[in-house]
Amino acid sequence: MKQLLLATAIATICSYPVQAEVDISGFASVMGGKLTSGTGVALFGLEPTFLANYPTVGVYEDEWTFKPDSKFGLQLTAELTEGLTATAQLVGRGADDFDAGFEWAYLSYVLNEHWTIQAGKKRLPLYYYSDFFDVSYAYLWIRPPADNYTWQIFNYTGVNAQFNYQLSDWSLSGNIYTGREDDAENKLLSEFFGTDPVREIWKDIIGGVLSLNRDWFDFRLTYMTYQNERYSDGIRVIWDGKDTRRGNFAGLSVNIDYNNWLLLSEVNRLTLDGDDYDTYLVSAGYRINKLTPYVSYADFDSEGEMHNTTSVGVRWDFHNSAAFKFQFDDVNDKGVGNNQVAGDSKAITMGVDLVF
Amino acid sequence: MNWFKVMTLTMALIVNAAIAEVAVIVHPSNAVSLDQSEITRLFTGRGATFNNGNKATPFNLAESAPARAHFDSKVLGKSSSQMKAYWSKLVFTGKGTPPKELASDAEVKAAVAADANAIGYIDAAAVDASVKVVGKF
Repeated sequence: MKQLLLATAIATICSYPVQAEVDISGFASVMGGKLTSGTGVALFGLEPTFLANYPTVGVYEDEWTFKPDSKFGLQLTAELTEGLTATAQLVGRGADDFDAGFEWAYLSYVLNEHWTIQAGKKRLPLYYYSDFFDVSYAYLWIRPPADNYTWQIFNYTGVNAQFNYQLSDWSLSGNIYTGREDDAENKLLSEFFGTDPVREIWKDIIGGVLSLNRDWFDFRLTYMTYQNERYSDGIRVIWDGKDTRRGNFAGLSVNIDYNNWLLLSEVNRLTLDGDDYDTYLVSAGYRINKLTPYVSYADFDSEGEMHNTTSVGVRWDFHNSAAFKFQFDDVNDKGVGNNQVAGDSKAITMGVDLVF
Repeated sequence: MNWFKVMTLTMALIVNAAIAEVAVIVHPSNAVSLDQSEITRLFTGRGATFNNGNKATPFNLAESAPARAHFDSKVLGKSSSQMKAYWSKLVFTGKGTPPKELASDAEVKAAVAADANAIGYIDAAAVDASVKVVGKF
């Protein structure tokens, strides 16, 4: 199903060389960093590590590396007929040795001024920054705080309906989506949280997002429910005697951009088989012409796994399409025993984000 | 060194942005009246029709055109960098497409003069009878 949709989208783009105008746009980040100190986790034999990106296992260690946060993306959009477009996005990440793959491939049809239907492969719009996680130019920090963006699945294949209404000065927008994701060898679960290959399936996904904005105020609600199925080394995982478990995710985000002050916040809860996994972040920045210094705090709290990150940094919009960023992160891993993730760490990261 | 660059860039921006006024223009046959929030709505992709229900096709100026930074800051209330970040989020998540960009005041004026649904903006000094001004900022 996934391959078929992907193939259809690509074939559709490629087979209209004459009729369709293909727009090419893209983004890139070149970021380098290293640990300044860290404890690692002796229990797992883990050396001092700053886990900057959970899903792709982007880690900084004692030596300088450019892999965890560097990436490039290329988007091709072809307008096929009035209202119908095909879009594909190729993304290569340093954490995957720049092995590029299609992260997005979908057809989009504009029903009317308010509604658009899309089908294909897309990013899950779970958290506020989930669906533009790779487009670092579009947000303040080097990366959305790792403690919040920890989930192993970030794409889905399915159908999405999005809407946009105007109520005087307020804009009401959002989407409703359904689909599934079957990740044959999940990177986070197979490589970081274990050694056996793990096939991770999120199925019967149904979710929605509702956003309310006016010029300086942005409010967003998100909800998603799904069934989780997992195979470890080919053997189906059983949780409390059941071979599937339900996850329900809910989140609220409030962002303010007023008189050069930026206030960003997000609070989320995933309930998985009765256990709560709570995350929140709060960031503040102040824009002084092209410089925006910021501070940020993010927290993850579940039954046993507990960690937080305090960050300070600066974004410098030195060019119309590029920004230089410098960030210092201080991770505090409060988990005990097997509930530790990567231990405490302090790290610096810097580099350039751009769009074209 | 960096501070020197910041100063230089800031001064360059001030010099570039030194146009007196931008005029928001539509086709002479378009009877619509628009305030700043409606113009903002059309140029940020939050609406695709004029307040009389007719389809609207906005034309943006390229970043190299002096009136662009003036329009972004005076009408939209954002820097050109902020607008680029805003559109990046929409473009790469399939939620929106920015207005088509044209290179100069003359191209925008010609495009608006030729299309009853068009809306654009140019340096107010470049306005002539081929287009109708609906606001100056």
